[in-house]
Amino acid sequence: MMSLYLFSLFNGLVMGQAIFLVAAGLTLAFGIMKIFNFAHGAFFMIGAYVAHALTGQEAASLPLFLGAAFAAAIVVGAMGVATDLVVFRRLAGVPTEYTLIAAFSVMLLASGGAELVFGQGIHAIYPPAALGGLIQMGIPISVYSIFIVGAGVVAFLVLEIGLNRLWFGKLIQAVARDPWMSDVAGLRVQRIKLISVAISFALAGLAGGLLVANQSLSLDLGHSYLLLAFCAVIVGGLGSVKGAFFAAILFGLADSLNYILLPTMPGVAVYALLIVLVLIRPQGFYPELSQ
Amino acid sequence: MKRLIAYGLVLLFLLFATAPYTVNAGLVFIAGIAMTEIIFALSWNMLFSYAGLASFGHAAFFGVGAYTAAVFLKYDYGLHFLLVIALGTFLGGVSSFVVAIIVLRRASGIQLAILTLALSQLVVTLIGYSAFLGRDEGIPSIPRPVMEFGLFRIDMNDQVQAYYFLFVMSLLAVALMWLLLHGYVGRRMKAVAIDPERAAFVGIDVWRVRVFAFTIGGAFAAFAGCLLVPWAQIVTPDLVMWLHSAQPMLATLLGGAGFFWGPIIGVLVLSMVNYATRTFAGLSEVLVGGILLIVVLLAPQGIMGFLRRIVERSSTGKPAMVEEQA
Repeated sequence: MMSLYLFSLFNGLVMGQAIFLVAAGLTLAFGIMKIFNFAHGAFFMIGAYVAHALTGQEAASLPLFLGAAFAAAIVVGAMGVATDLVVFRRLAGVPTEYTLIAAFSVMLLASGGAELVFGQGIHAIYPPAALGGLIQMGIPISVYSIFIVGAGVVAFLVLEIGLNRLWFGKLIQAVARDPWMSDVAGLRVQRIKLISVAISFALAGLAGGLLVANQSLSLDLGHSYLLLAFCAVIVGGLGSVKGAFFAAILFGLADSLNYILLPTMPGVAVYALLIVLVLIRPQGFYPELSQ
Repeated sequence: MKRLIAYGLVLLFLLFATAPYTVNAGLVFIAGIAMTEIIFALSWNMLFSYAGLASFGHAAFFGVGAYTAAVFLKYDYGLHFLLVIALGTFLGGVSSFVVAIIVLRRASGIQLAILTLALSQLVVTLIGYSAFLGRDEGIPSIPRPVMEFGLFRIDMNDQVQAYYFLFVMSLLAVALMWLLLHGYVGRRMKAVAIDPERAAFVGIDVWRVRVFAFTIGGAFAAFAGCLLVPWAQIVTPDLVMWLHSAQPMLATLLGGAGFFWGPIIGVLVLSMVNYATRTFAGLSEVLVGGILLIVVLLAPQGIMGFLRRIVERSSTGKPAMVEEQA
């Protein structure tokens, strides 16, 4: 019984890190552009397809697997640059509903385009042999899930340190807080925004490349994590990487404990948690400081 | 512009009224679906353009109506279909009232969008548990009702009779919404949408107006759901999914937010795009996404706004006034 809970806790952690990998880019994009990017899940899916196209069903080695994930990040990041230049840049100051719907139409374009390019087939993907094994630590743990947790934590640390300690992160924060003042102070606001959007999209592509081995690759892939990532971003506080990290873990744990405590009703706990948390704290764990 | 709208509406009325005798069966079927989507889209637009609330889970209420009608027709409880529609609409209103009470208290903007989205997905999840509601596969091959009205009867098994039943019900719903929004209630909603604070100053109970709008919007969405069931003869959780919630938004934006009739044009364009691209997987999404993006970026007032600009420019020679957008 104990090991069952332990197993479920660990699964929740893995799930939480997977959600965070998707949510990180989403919350970053919101912080900088004030646009809730519905298309994020679609680009996550495109990243997964790109990685799959490079490695095939099973990556031959770990470096190849990682290389494919980074290649997916670069491809999707480039798409992000294009999206920003064509769409997002023009939406500054437009009412929220319109930006949401613009992002939604980008999502339709991206997922429809993916359907045209990659077809409707469903592919089973396996992690490379180096990540394929199981470790016995009281409970059986797959190496791949440890890898996911590691990737999530690394992504979190890089973003947190990058945003709060490095000069470029501070520039991004300045632009996010007050674009006008940053402009006056001589920052190239548009370029910094463009780079942050590229980073946000690249994170989606990277997450796609890293998480693809977790499940079957199909056009629905975007949806499975997207909603949970939305929840994590909202509950964590829009624009906050730290908040998204903790909220993602919370949602991962809720979902996995759901299977033990309420086995007849899978998938309910996350929604219940979301509703309760938003009602208690609508501004999120770490509300953004900008106006 | 008013005259243009009037001509357009008459043309539209004639097109829909004569559809069973002028076009092939496939298009008639799509016309029937389009009518329910029009009610659905108008009900969303009522929330969006008149009350300033962007719900991203409106399909949940459509689903309440659709599943109510489906259950009553499939398991044949012998209730008159008009009463089934009334019941479905009532349940839709009640559920959206409850959601409004929970959600509108704290959330607005993006929080509201995500909360409504999550609630509608919760409904999808709950439907997935219920064998009675057909789980993920939905309820197929629903029989069409036969309605006795004393003096006459409507047999919906007859395609033409079913079509005209749908047509009349849709006209009623559209007329009702028009009356509702072009009077006292509509003006109060508009005031709240444009500036809640000032609306509160002049004595409008903002909270109550919003809850009322949400409730009525949900009821009309459920009404549309009820009408769809005997026509399509199948309900699936897809009707409740967020992609269906997006349909009225797309239609409204495309046709013109801020115009009562905008969503109708939007639904028609979307139906035509879907019909024209039905054999190419993915193409319709790309087209719809592309069209919508162009509309949002270049003509945020939609097709109606674009038309108005042209009409006013040609009649007065001056650029059109930009209507204040909430």
